[in-house]
Amino acid sequence: MGKIKIKKLKFKLSIFAGRSISFILKIFLKSSAGALPGKVAMSIYPDILKEVDHRCKKTVLITGTNGKTTTNNLLVHIVKGKYPRILSNLRGANMPQGLVSAFINDLKEDYDWGIFEVDEGSFKRVVRDLKPDYVVITNFFRDQLDRYGEIEKAFQDIYESLEPLHTTLILNADDPLVSNFKKLGKKNIFYGVLENQFCDSNQNVVETNFCPGCNEHLDYSYFNYGQLGGYSCARCGFENPERKYEITDIQYQGENYRFVLNADQNLKDFEFKYGGVYNAYNCCASTSAALEMGMDLDTVTQRIESFEYKLGRMENFLINEKNVKVVLVKNPISLGEVLKILAMDDSKKSLLMILNDNPADGADVSWIWDAEIENVLQAKNLKNIHFAGRRPHDMALRFKYAGISTENFHIHENIDQALDKILYEDVETIYILPTYTALFHLRELLNARIEGKGRTISYFREFLKNLKLPKS
Amino acid sequence: MEINIFQMYPDLLNLYGDLGNVTCLKRRCEWLGIQPNIVNFSINQEVSLQDGDIFFIGGGSDRGQSLIYSHLLKYKKELEELIEDEKIFMAICGGYQLLGNKYIDAEGNKMPGLEIFDYETKSEEGRLIGNIITKNTLGLKPDTLVGFENHGGRTYHDLQPLGKVISGHGNNGKDEKEGMVYKNCIGTYLHGPVLPKNPHLADYMILKALEKKYEIKALDKLDDKIEYLAHEKVIDLYSP
Repeated sequence: MGKIKIKKLKFKLSIFAGRSISFILKIFLKSSAGALPGKVAMSIYPDILKEVDHRCKKTVLITGTNGKTTTNNLLVHIVKGKYPRILSNLRGANMPQGLVSAFINDLKEDYDWGIFEVDEGSFKRVVRDLKPDYVVITNFFRDQLDRYGEIEKAFQDIYESLEPLHTTLILNADDPLVSNFKKLGKKNIFYGVLENQFCDSNQNVVETNFCPGCNEHLDYSYFNYGQLGGYSCARCGFENPERKYEITDIQYQGENYRFVLNADQNLKDFEFKYGGVYNAYNCCASTSAALEMGMDLDTVTQRIESFEYKLGRMENFLINEKNVKVVLVKNPISLGEVLKILAMDDSKKSLLMILNDNPADGADVSWIWDAEIENVLQAKNLKNIHFAGRRPHDMALRFKYAGISTENFHIHENIDQALDKILYEDVETIYILPTYTALFHLRELLNARIEGKGRTISYFREFLKNLKLPKS
Repeated sequence: MEINIFQMYPDLLNLYGDLGNVTCLKRRCEWLGIQPNIVNFSINQEVSLQDGDIFFIGGGSDRGQSLIYSHLLKYKKELEELIEDEKIFMAICGGYQLLGNKYIDAEGNKMPGLEIFDYETKSEEGRLIGNIITKNTLGLKPDTLVGFENHGGRTYHDLQPLGKVISGHGNNGKDEKEGMVYKNCIGTYLHGPVLPKNPHLADYMILKALEKKYEIKALDKLDDKIEYLAHEKVIDLYSP
């Protein structure tokens, strides 16, 4: 009796503490993002994720290297068309504390669905307490090696933690590393994107050198991006498994993209506001999951057409009558792909690269040398290239050695100074590509300019960031 | 004038952006008016090593590394002769470890090296990760080298190091040595990649190659403003 009472009390206390922290953050920093409230709550009541599991009727976890946040936001948006009570970590805080923060900020007795993106390194820990009905795996790219060692390790961790679970896997058929999860013998649903006009004929990605079945070289009939594409192994016969859901065609129409979806032999096309082949994968992953979760095809495509991104990972602003496109870049593949989109855009434009080297960005900035910065050489009407962040010179160097003329390079002390220049240039479009920790600050600065208000909050935040606190 | 730059196993040893070093050498040669020829050498792409002026060996995953060890063993003697003949080599991280006698992993298993140099690398607890600043032993100006290290293995030797550690860990986190130099062969743990941010080291390698091939004694000066700003930034942020 006494034990149960204490447990309940601890739970309530943890929620109270978490909410208080969240409240304070909102007042002073105008931000509820982040994992701190969850961290505090977990330190008081470590089993809190079990409580989350208990309150969600069913759960979906989304993991992999790229596309987690977009797929998560898309899926939640789609499923909201039928189920109003959804718990999700929409802002991308994807470690256990982040999931708990989402719970604390949206506290309910029960939810129809819990839909969460989970960091590859945290997957093991999360499924210890939270038993998913569905797991979506997007892809494995080399990402921040200093945190995980190598992608084989991330693969192994997720593989082992899935072994004892009763769950349905929704797998990207076009990534040999992901389709390999079929070995687990779970219920597998495969999705993918067929050959289309945005395909590359060649990609220099090391993962393509090893067949997961026998270590031989894989043959590719087409590449979508990275090692995603149509592959087969001449030696052991390893190849793309049959897809239940696939995007069969991509058309670019003005500002929008039109995708043709083949959902279990039913054809349906829909429009999507955001570009890039990687978004075809994000759309396909989330529609596959939604359809498997019991939604109907019409609702799914209607919902996806009304999706708008509000998180800055891909966000469009209109400032000084210029189209400002902000896209988060976090690893070589995503950076190369975004620059490919820039190169296809014929409008008069400038570019701002923001490179930070905080732990969440990856402390090692060498990853930018694995990205196809050379894609910029194809860009027309590109006026100026600006650099900001903690390591702007490293990025400028990478551009210089890609063979891009340094004549129009501008290196800035901070983001605000860069915005003062780029937002007043004689261009139609502005591309801003920040790494993770620069993203939220950038959004605040842009929003402050739209609202025309003072920049006090941003400056206060900058001040707090630069305060040197003793390490705990 | 032309320089042949051999990129060893670029399909297998290409972690941490190290191939950016080859891009750096190639561009600097172009800017200096020297024709760079990039030659890929790999398991299904064997070409004569005798034509090489600069050899670059990066680091790879364990899987990549064990594949190339057995392949490269056939060329051990030839590599040794090329090094003795003062050809220019740069071996980074796993490549640097590979030139030694052996690598001993956490369980005590021994993985043989090419035994070109008399040193060994032991896996010890904790990875040595972070930005690193050293003082170079080659007499280059500026005297600092900057980069990023990320290795679990500790290398021990009495050879000339490439640098003395000012900030960071170096070969083993104990003796303040980073890397090794023997004739024109350089081994190092510095990623970054190391050459773009240390153009004095890049030009040192290019000059050594030209000296050997064409008896050239000095290089033209390139505009290295951004290079040294990047170099200085690491020192500003990470010096003790």
